[in-house]
Amino acid sequence: MKPIVPKKHEPVRIGYYICHCGTNIAAMVDVEAVAKYVATLPNVAVSRHYKYMCSDPGQELIQQDIREHRLNRIVVEACSPLLHEHTFRKATEAAGLNPFYCQMVNTREHNSWVHTDRAEATRKAMALAHAAIERVPHHKSLEVKKVPINPDVLIVGGGIAGIHAALTLANAGKMVYLVEREPTIGGHMAKFDKTYPTLDCAMCVLSPKMAAVGSHPNIHLWTYSEVAKVDGYVGNFQVTVRRKPRYIVEDLCTGCQECVAACVFKEPKFPDEFNLGLGKRKPVFLPFAQAIPPIVMIDPEVCLNFKRGKNPDGTHTVSDKCKKTCVQACGDRKAIDFKQTEETKNITVGTIVMATGFKIFDARRTPFFGYGIYPNVYNALEVERLINASGPTEGEIVLRNGQRPKKVAIVHCVGSRDENTNRWCSRVCCLYSLKLAHLIKEHTDAEVYNFYIDMRTPGKGMEEFYNRVAEEGMHLIRGKVADVYPDPNDGATGRVVVQAEDTLTNKILKIPVDMVVLSVGLEPHPEADNLRRLFNLSCSSEGWFLERHVKLAPVSTFTDGIFLAGCCQGPKDIPDSVAQAGAAAAEAMALIDKGHIEQEPNTAYILADECSGCKSCIPLCPYSAISFDESRQKAIINEALCKGCGTCVAACPSGSIVQNLFEDDEIFSEIEGLLAPVPA
Amino acid sequence: MVATREPAVVDRTTTLETLLQTPAGKRMMTCIQCGTCGGTCPYGDTMDFSPRLVINMLRGGFMDEVIKSESLLQCVACYACMAKCPRGIRLTDVLLPLVKEQVLVTHTPMPAEFQKSLENMNRYGNPMGESPRKRAAWTATAGVKIPIMAELKREVDVLWFVECYTSFYARGQDNSRATARLFNALGVDFAILGNEEKCAGECGQLTWESGLFESLAEYNMKVFNKYKFRRLVTGDAHAYNAFHFRYPMFGLTQPAEHTTQFLARHLDRLKPMLKKPLDLTVTYHDACCLGRATGSYDEGRALLQAIPGVKLVEMVHNRVNSLCCGGGGGGMWLDTYYKQKGMDRLSDRRVKEAIATGADVLAVACPYEISRFEDALKVVPHTKPIVVRDVVELLAESLA
Repeated sequence: MKPIVPKKHEPVRIGYYICHCGTNIAAMVDVEAVAKYVATLPNVAVSRHYKYMCSDPGQELIQQDIREHRLNRIVVEACSPLLHEHTFRKATEAAGLNPFYCQMVNTREHNSWVHTDRAEATRKAMALAHAAIERVPHHKSLEVKKVPINPDVLIVGGGIAGIHAALTLANAGKMVYLVEREPTIGGHMAKFDKTYPTLDCAMCVLSPKMAAVGSHPNIHLWTYSEVAKVDGYVGNFQVTVRRKPRYIVEDLCTGCQECVAACVFKEPKFPDEFNLGLGKRKPVFLPFAQAIPPIVMIDPEVCLNFKRGKNPDGTHTVSDKCKKTCVQACGDRKAIDFKQTEETKNITVGTIVMATGFKIFDARRTPFFGYGIYPNVYNALEVERLINASGPTEGEIVLRNGQRPKKVAIVHCVGSRDENTNRWCSRVCCLYSLKLAHLIKEHTDAEVYNFYIDMRTPGKGMEEFYNRVAEEGMHLIRGKVADVYPDPNDGATGRVVVQAEDTLTNKILKIPVDMVVLSVGLEPHPEADNLRRLFNLSCSSEGWFLERHVKLAPVSTFTDGIFLAGCCQGPKDIPDSVAQAGAAAAEAMALIDKGHIEQEPNTAYILADECSGCKSCIPLCPYSAISFDESRQKAIINEALCKGCGTCVAACPSGSIVQNLFEDDEIFSEIEGLLAPVPA
Repeated sequence: MVATREPAVVDRTTTLETLLQTPAGKRMMTCIQCGTCGGTCPYGDTMDFSPRLVINMLRGGFMDEVIKSESLLQCVACYACMAKCPRGIRLTDVLLPLVKEQVLVTHTPMPAEFQKSLENMNRYGNPMGESPRKRAAWTATAGVKIPIMAELKREVDVLWFVECYTSFYARGQDNSRATARLFNALGVDFAILGNEEKCAGECGQLTWESGLFESLAEYNMKVFNKYKFRRLVTGDAHAYNAFHFRYPMFGLTQPAEHTTQFLARHLDRLKPMLKKPLDLTVTYHDACCLGRATGSYDEGRALLQAIPGVKLVEMVHNRVNSLCCGGGGGGMWLDTYYKQKGMDRLSDRRVKEAIATGADVLAVACPYEISRFEDALKVVPHTKPIVVRDVVELLAESLA
């Protein structure tokens, strides 16, 4: 179809459409009255209301009107442009009109959903419509610009979500940079024993994926590393990564661990992070047997070859005081390097997947559960390590005094559903508590008491799992534990009493147990706030990264080209994390495979004749899109870099910067329309 | 915790019928029936209706059954349910007092000892039925001059509200004498109301009788309004609670402080004066009205640790998890009733924990606790001697 280009002298003919959105808009706004009112406004050729403007017939209506009534401007009053601006621009374009002659008015999120007075909401809809009617005559025909996209992807976080996203993208032939702050990938899942509802072993399913990441030709795996800086925008992010010294040359270490055996510390002496301090490690150590990369690291805080304590700049000074038996053991491999320093890597990627995970709730914040006070009170992650064959007790569930517990209480909702700590349901605790109940019983034949508020087991196979565990003879008590204290009748075994109201029998229970397991909830990662700033993301008030749309864009963010996977977006279980990681990878791929980014033509340009060459705009531009032409003494805006933020437009002292779609004429007319009297 | 961090409570006109429409009542609509309140309640196992069940009966419209039962006679207003509530529901100072008021109307007769105390408060302005004209008599034994507002005839910095037990009971007066010495040592510009003062009425309000509380509060406000002062300081944790939460609804605009809070604020000046080492192991009992009610856990401990030679040890239940002495919410006058019902005395439970710490001193910051814990120590067997002292007594003793 031949594009319709309105000629200068051709009169403006506006088509106006207000959407009912079912009852979303029509229930609070008298759409018929608005359409009638708009028909009386200048330049309006057609004014209609329709049940669903976004439907095919709705779009067809616009196209037909453009053809039949020779419309050259379109105004659609409906929902947020975030949802349907694209739809209506496309419909406009399909009828042969430049898509930027179409303007959307948000009368749902900004009007019908937030007001309760129908008459006032209708008046507001009229005023908003009038603003757009005044604005569109000033619109111009604009071209969408295409910018090539860098096909490489950065994935931040190497838990199951990051691993799955990395493998999906790498298998599709994309180059992936996987940055993990810990010395190994695997995240929380690597610490779990078995997984619900199938009770398959976490590492049995995870370790093949970890190994695949470690050996994949398309994955650059950077562990013990952190993102330090992010610049640029979708298609072209410049990222700086800090690689912290592990005092081991990664390429030279074979993972033989002979250095660990040879360390001057004959016995492991220092709390082992991977086992949450329940086990011990040496100053040189492999985080755990299946760590990826299978490379040891040296902890300078405890290694004798370093001076005690950090320097003010965070580095450590070599003391050369140790016999360095590790270096002798390493021999010709020469993989140990005490002089290693932090390394900085600069990369360019087109898209980013955030998979930074969560942290478990610190149960010391609810002191009446006795965590950190009584040795036999554990958090659930510690118990995962106790049950795990590769854990500090080699899978034997024994208390700190070496005894096997005969009675165990599992306390649900610790740091969840609680206004004093975290308001949200952490979603995984009911099921992992049932799983732990099963495993504890299987390992020890102990009496297990689950204290819950509501048993929440949605999802495929989950209710069946609940049923199975209940049948095994668990004590399932509906009531939250209110107090944990030492058993007054106990000698020295460390037995504690858990006190709770059984809300189904109306009895106060005081049950002496040998072990308490606190089913701690999930919290945003402590670094989430820094990451949010670094990557320019939004967070919910709780601190989870905010998705672009809760239902329809659940892995996208408000920053184009950055996607979310796993628990950084909110608590979720392994299947959901993996599904989300796959979705994030697919979204990234959709951008990459298109090959280019279409840029909204809302860029700014300089009216060269009026520019005084004062340069005040140049340092203000957050995208470094403005440069200075020395020969002509004028500023120049690089359209490919301009993101249309408008900072320079507002700052220019001579008013010589203009922004497409936000020209002065457009905005002032819009304001006039908005402030014009509206019928009562 | 959540509920205690928000000072606003329901207004004076709220009744059980209108409660659920108020902001505090809407919180009750969010109750998830987790039973934390019932599980932590010191008398939860003897109540027919645990606090959890009271909420659900209210929501279901079955309050008559709750009012007919004796469950609420067992509430000692210790704030444990409210402090731990995951929904921030104001049980102790909003819901339960409204229920108690109805219990008082319905149950006749109430336990005699209790009935008598309320009558005394009404008639004499103190629960023991002492002569109001002897309220300031203790000042003769203070050892320092105690200025009285009516005689002073000028603005003071601190209006010290002495309260009942600390005016009339011998062991309570020890607290007042110590406070007077400390104020004097710090050079505090203070005065008391003398015989004009009447009970702040906290127990009247939190237990049963909103009418009694209102008449006492209105009386005290009238007296306050006669004088100029910049802050109200009291050694009675219950009175502090009333001044902090309730009296602003009756027009109190000056800030209220408990003596431990006031002294802790001046600790940098007080500490150099604490020269006499006491050489004692001390365990600190968190008063419900200070700790859980207002989150004031650190002041008492900071003061004790400022005394040379004092070693602070903690009981099993401390801070938010502290065990009540059983004296709040009218429990002070229900001991006979509890005994008849075969219930544990809470002060016995508490001193057992204090004894287990091996401390020489059980330090308290609420005048009820002196007599309650001293009585309990008479019946709970222990080998190593342990005494009950108010924090201010220990501080005054350490003054050089």
